[in-house]
Amino acid sequence: MISAFIHKFSSPKSFVQITKTLYPLFIFTGLSMLIIGWTWGLLFAPPDAVQGNSYRIIFLHVPAVIFAELIYFFMALCALMHIVWRVRLAAYLIKSAAPIGAMITFIGLFSGSIWGIPTWGTWWQWDARITSTLILFIMYLGILTLHGSFSNLEKSDRLMSILVVIGVVNIPIIKKSVDWWSTLHQPASISVSGGSSIDPSMLYPLIISVIGLGFTLISLGILTSRSYILGREKNKKWVLDHV
Amino acid sequence: MFDIAFNNVNEIIGMNGHGIYVWSVYSIAISILVMSFLVAKNRIKGVKRKIKIKNAPS
Repeated sequence: MISAFIHKFSSPKSFVQITKTLYPLFIFTGLSMLIIGWTWGLLFAPPDAVQGNSYRIIFLHVPAVIFAELIYFFMALCALMHIVWRVRLAAYLIKSAAPIGAMITFIGLFSGSIWGIPTWGTWWQWDARITSTLILFIMYLGILTLHGSFSNLEKSDRLMSILVVIGVVNIPIIKKSVDWWSTLHQPASISVSGGSSIDPSMLYPLIISVIGLGFTLISLGILTSRSYILGREKNKKWVLDHV
Repeated sequence: MFDIAFNNVNEIIGMNGHGIYVWSVYSIAISILVMSFLVAKNRIKGVKRKIKIKNAPS
């Protein structure tokens, strides 16, 4: 029954049609919220008592690393769907999400490094949080490389899904690294269950930036997946009707 | 909460010596995001063009 349900709602044709309708709404919401969140954070939020104005990188860095992990988690769910139920769309979504994950992880690492210069006095430290995030970045690149290494695309999809599932072990390590090891990186200031230690004047623009970046990345995902799906399904009748 | 945190444009750009870090990070990130959207849009156009050419009546 679950399998029938999944297959019914996971046709590439329906996905392309539905996301094409949703794209304008998502991109408008994403960009509007990013502009509001970043303008608020960069110009209206007060300077931090310890870090001064350098902390304003938080409105980019934190959303970026949140989505670096969430995108991988999404890919792992898709990988399970592909391995267990052989859902074609799930493999297409992994392949489309991986470059976005690599890009946003790079932005997270890069913004953190730049933030580290005025704050820690160094742009890089081999501590647990930063190193595990670097491993995540390498995982994204590895997944893309692996998928591009085979001429048989079905085989590529399957091996890519297996690698994604194996790599998901890194996500809780990244999340818990600041608690398990003594690191230069500070522990989480916001948690889903336990509230926040950040002042509301900084917290609200941060939340808006997170939501804004989320919608922006979903919009980007819609575009990358559309081009990939059309390419993979180019011999199907619905694609000919679509273009 | 909605008072601007700076007195003039020079303060906004300089951010007490931290402007170089803050603005460079945002500029590079925004450039990467914009580039990603442009590349994705171009890919869709490219794929559609290829499919149309392949299936054009001869």
